[in-house]
Amino acid sequence: MRNSSWRAMLRSPLVVIVLVVLVWFIATFLVLPNANLLISTFFPDGKLSFRALEKLISSERALKSLWHSFALAATLAVTVNVVGIFIVLVTDYFKIRGSRVLWLGYATTLIYGGIVLAAGYNFIYGKNGFITNAALNVFPDIDPNWFSGYFAVVVVMTLATTTNHMLFLGSSLAKIDYQTIEAARNMGASTWRILWRIVLPALRPMIFAVTVLTFLTGLGALTAPLVLGGTDFQTIAPMILTFSKSSGSRDLAALLAIILGLATIVLLAMMNRVEKSGTYFSVAKVATPLQKQPIRNPLANVLVHVAAYVLFVVYALPVLLIVLFSFLESTAISTGTITWDSFTLANYATVFGTPSVLKPFVVSVVYSALASLIVVLGMLFVARVFQKHRNPVTTLLEYLLHIPWILPTILIALALVMTFDRPNPLIGGQVLTGTTVLLLVAYVIVKIPFTLRLLKAAFASVPESLEDAARILGAGPLFTLRTVLVPLVLPTAAAITALNFNSLLDDYDTAVFLYHPLYEPLGLAIRASTEGENNLDAMSITFVYTVLLMIIMGFTMWLVYGRGGARGRRGVRRGTRRAGAGAGPGAAAAPVAVPVPAAAVATVSPAPTPAPRA
Amino acid sequence: MHKRTFKTASVATIILSTMVLASCASADAGSGEGQGGGDAGGTLIVYTNSNGDGRGEWVTAQAKEAGLDIEIVGLGGADLANRIVAEKNNPVGDVVFGLNNMFFETLKDEEAVTAYEPAWAAEVDQESGDPEDGAFWPLVEQAIVTVYDTNKVPAADAPTEVADLWKDAAYDGRYEVNTALGQATPQLVLAGLLAPYLDEDGDLGVSDKGWKQVEDYYAHGSPAEEGTDLYARMARGDVDFGVLPSSGITARDAEYGTVTGVISPADGVPYVTEQIAVIAGTPREAAAEEFIDWFGSAETQGAFAAEFASYPVNEKARGQALPEVVELIESLPKQDIDFALTRENIGAWVEKTELEYLP
Amino acid sequence: MIRFDDIEVTFGEHIAIPKLNLEVEQGEFFTLLGPSGCGKTTALRTLAGFIEPSAGEIYIGGKAATKLPSEKRSVGMVFQNYALFPSMSVRENIAFGLKVRKTHRAETDRLVDEIAAQVELTSEQLAKNVSELSGGQQQRVAIARALVLKPRILLLDEPLSNLDAKLRVQLREQLKNLQRELGITTVYVTHDQEEALTMSDRIAVFNHGVVEQVGTPEEIYNRSATEFVATFVGAMNRLTGEFMQQLRHAGGSTLAPDKSSYLRLEKVALQEPAHGASVRLHGVIADRVYQGSHSTYTIDSHGSRIRALVPEGGALPLVAGAAATLYIDPSAVLQY
Repeated sequence: MRNSSWRAMLRSPLVVIVLVVLVWFIATFLVLPNANLLISTFFPDGKLSFRALEKLISSERALKSLWHSFALAATLAVTVNVVGIFIVLVTDYFKIRGSRVLWLGYATTLIYGGIVLAAGYNFIYGKNGFITNAALNVFPDIDPNWFSGYFAVVVVMTLATTTNHMLFLGSSLAKIDYQTIEAARNMGASTWRILWRIVLPALRPMIFAVTVLTFLTGLGALTAPLVLGGTDFQTIAPMILTFSKSSGSRDLAALLAIILGLATIVLLAMMNRVEKSGTYFSVAKVATPLQKQPIRNPLANVLVHVAAYVLFVVYALPVLLIVLFSFLESTAISTGTITWDSFTLANYATVFGTPSVLKPFVVSVVYSALASLIVVLGMLFVARVFQKHRNPVTTLLEYLLHIPWILPTILIALALVMTFDRPNPLIGGQVLTGTTVLLLVAYVIVKIPFTLRLLKAAFASVPESLEDAARILGAGPLFTLRTVLVPLVLPTAAAITALNFNSLLDDYDTAVFLYHPLYEPLGLAIRASTEGENNLDAMSITFVYTVLLMIIMGFTMWLVYGRGGARGRRGVRRGTRRAGAGAGPGAAAAPVAVPVPAAAVATVSPAPTPAPRA
Repeated sequence: MHKRTFKTASVATIILSTMVLASCASADAGSGEGQGGGDAGGTLIVYTNSNGDGRGEWVTAQAKEAGLDIEIVGLGGADLANRIVAEKNNPVGDVVFGLNNMFFETLKDEEAVTAYEPAWAAEVDQESGDPEDGAFWPLVEQAIVTVYDTNKVPAADAPTEVADLWKDAAYDGRYEVNTALGQATPQLVLAGLLAPYLDEDGDLGVSDKGWKQVEDYYAHGSPAEEGTDLYARMARGDVDFGVLPSSGITARDAEYGTVTGVISPADGVPYVTEQIAVIAGTPREAAAEEFIDWFGSAETQGAFAAEFASYPVNEKARGQALPEVVELIESLPKQDIDFALTRENIGAWVEKTELEYLP
Repeated sequence: MIRFDDIEVTFGEHIAIPKLNLEVEQGEFFTLLGPSGCGKTTALRTLAGFIEPSAGEIYIGGKAATKLPSEKRSVGMVFQNYALFPSMSVRENIAFGLKVRKTHRAETDRLVDEIAAQVELTSEQLAKNVSELSGGQQQRVAIARALVLKPRILLLDEPLSNLDAKLRVQLREQLKNLQRELGITTVYVTHDQEEALTMSDRIAVFNHGVVEQVGTPEEIYNRSATEFVATFVGAMNRLTGEFMQQLRHAGGSTLAPDKSSYLRLEKVALQEPAHGASVRLHGVIADRVYQGSHSTYTIDSHGSRIRALVPEGGALPLVAGAAATLYIDPSAVLQY
């Protein structure tokens, strides 16, 4: 029984301090600025205006785009699960030759996304893509536009959003008690029946959680529909982006964002419920580590191998292509005529020839690192308090912390600039606009919901008896948090830090209104070097930056998920096994507490996005 | 002890990192104010949307030679204007240039820029700037033109009026339309489309006929592809026509081997004039004015025109502009667009177009 | 040593323990026994200070402890799943409480080594990660961790339920021996009546949050105070209808006719006992289960199925279908 009584909550000084700081933070940085902006938007003359709603309802295009966003989200919820579960199964469950190489291929979505990812696929399968061209040579009757619209968007986004499955479903799979599989086999169950009746049901809470985040990613989809959607399949996010930049249309942007936000809240509530009811522990006394399953049917085995490697190629091709393209002249890329002469180092020369090219990298690394550390550190306390004390107040605070998921980043940034451009008593009379602090504040804010969700889930997977044990041995709440709980959620915290870091590295939307002129972040530098009417090398230079970003992001993931290539992965899993084999059901669930998934495309998309969902 | 260590450590981490940022922030502000007070001393923060293609570096270097220490902050036009308005109570930038009249009208309306009469005021046509209040001053003129590759479409086959593109079925889907209406150029295209049809009784001050034009324009066009240049699409044969600011033509012809033709309608094409102004409330007003005097001068504008194929408003500087640029600009009549009215309505026009007419 | 005085525990609307009164003596091995959900773990957690009672008072060592936080109650606890900290080594786990108290390092090492020796953990095992130990070893670590702070009271929450049967029996003795050596007051929670009977000095049988009986194992087993205790602790024959009539007719006329009647298996003899009054009833052997030291017979007699325990080495065995005579002492029949 979680203790939820008020008295108990307020008795702990730690909880009181956390709550006071949290209430101050929420009031100052989340509620006040956004409320100001929204009130001036929806109550232009002091009274409620229904203008936005009327406009929206009378616009066929807006309603269609909104419908497309929901349709995409719903489709992705299915397709991403199919592909994601397949990927997890072939890398972690079935005996597949070269599964480690496959893993690396599937993991490429961790280090790039957004416009570059969409462009990468377009260069392969699009109207002038080389696969399309090759196919046209053989079958001239094929529609060269075959890869566009709803179908193409779904395919690309499906592949791009399996990151969640890779990171989080994989670790859930490792926690399954192998004896249940052995028992089922013993009773004559086939490979498929075991999978269907034993393995997947055990993963259900995690699958559900991943599905929710996939749905949110689909709702906020921006770049893939822009590049691949064509005229038939445009989503709502670009419209929100356009409207939030025009002061007259900001109410429409806010209204549209709030509609998506409501969907987010409904799903959030569902997720909270699943978290409450569905924490899954192995019930075995001595859990046996999972062993990879051979596929007995030779035909099925061949088919699964083929599918796994085809998927690998599909995943790996765009990355290879981007690296290749970063060495190509831009005309060669855009017109699709590549010869040996097209190869050049000029793009890299341009990037590195830019004066102080290194500084934006340093600025962004410092900002991203600081923001990801602060947000994880802060949310460690907050998530702990929320998870331990459930009452109307903490529930309300928790929902308020999700504001950054509901409002577009641009609106949040604008609200911050406008609120803190004068001395504010809530922050000791300081002015933040025009200082380096404001961007940091914004970065912390936009990363709160994601961090909170994951950390809360991580804490939830720690058996309560561990806390009781520490308490009865005399440890105070902080000592318990530091010595017992934090080490257990540390893998999750590290993973979140890395994902946050990667996603902030090339942020544009937040920074554009907030960055200090002397400290230009990377996202702005990339834009600056790719914008301009005479800048025809924009795409090539984007590729160069993408390659550089992939290196940094790859390095970050390596720091978290394993030094020395795949060894770390093995290490992580070995940890699970050890724990599973020994420490009984409670502890077995704990050491690799990397639970509930990441909205990974949102977190690792190098392209600017209107909302954190995109 | 342990409790305290941890608590202290975590609190210290946050406080420390915040202080690092805060201190360098206040240090900047301090140094800025300290030296800004002494005229042209401190680093001048120059906001612009015209820093691409090496222009930012060029301006910084040239200014340094002239004894001006500046830092260029480059952002897209709409983003930049939004940022200046948002910051108006505590401005970060000192001077802004490169935005078109429409954006500057907004800045003036929001009292985000302040009037100043530059030393070169007599050398430019006041009409291109802000003749009433002198809040901003013109630098460079650009035409927003519809282009095609004469290698593929002989000039004789090209339409003489832009409207032929959507009226004649032969061009159906053969011209690019930019749907990113948050950006400056697509907004100007829209303004140009609506300009002849202004009607106080019509929806948003535009007659139904005008809106029909917009509808047809987008309905028969081929939407721009994110990340793919117009000329790349023309080279592939996806489209034959598209809209481009005139300053972009020279570089593209060189890159793609095209020979650009321009549709020159009888009513003219939309022109935009890039402006310069002091940001209101800057502590370095004197330095900002000094920068304006230098940057808008015939000498600097002439050198800039020679370097970046621009068409300067400063008449004395025009002599240094590239001949093909001068020839092109002078061959294209100016469409009559009421920019003050356009600025007032463009938000609503964009919204209506976005909601009702975009494909 | 410990006194529950009118303790009431509620979870929202649900009353988990309505009114609990218990007393545990110094040095006693006291067991809270009952089916799952009966309130025994709640009582233990209330004693540990994890749950605050809604009414009543807990006294520890004669002093009111209800408001004391758990770490000030001088209780050590072993959790059902041991709750070992997976991120720490065995030594760090045991030393955790000492570290909290900022015990000197050398002293910590000495105390850990001492308690480790007592629970038979080797120095090699001390260096291991807890997850590398077997279930039994983990249990010993959990006990060592609880005892190293020298608490006045040791609380054990089903500490054997996660182990396999053979280990369980073995550890039962070890645990009892350790408790006897240390003389520590121990409160033990279990749902396993065999565990309770073999280890306890006294037992409290819980049912629906209410203590049905407190007594020594012998009292609980032989003089079960309530029907629930009788049926929950040990195996019982339930005597009904015609069989009861026959029994009363044959000599048990003192037995009430209308009460629920029970008889322990070992109180049914298949051979004439050497002494003591007994009545005879006839039946037919239905089944026999051989269990080494004894056999369990199932006999159909006057419409009832009666089970009887017969020690190995008697004149039997009888085979299924054979006639048998039951010898029953009516005074052994328990009626409620």
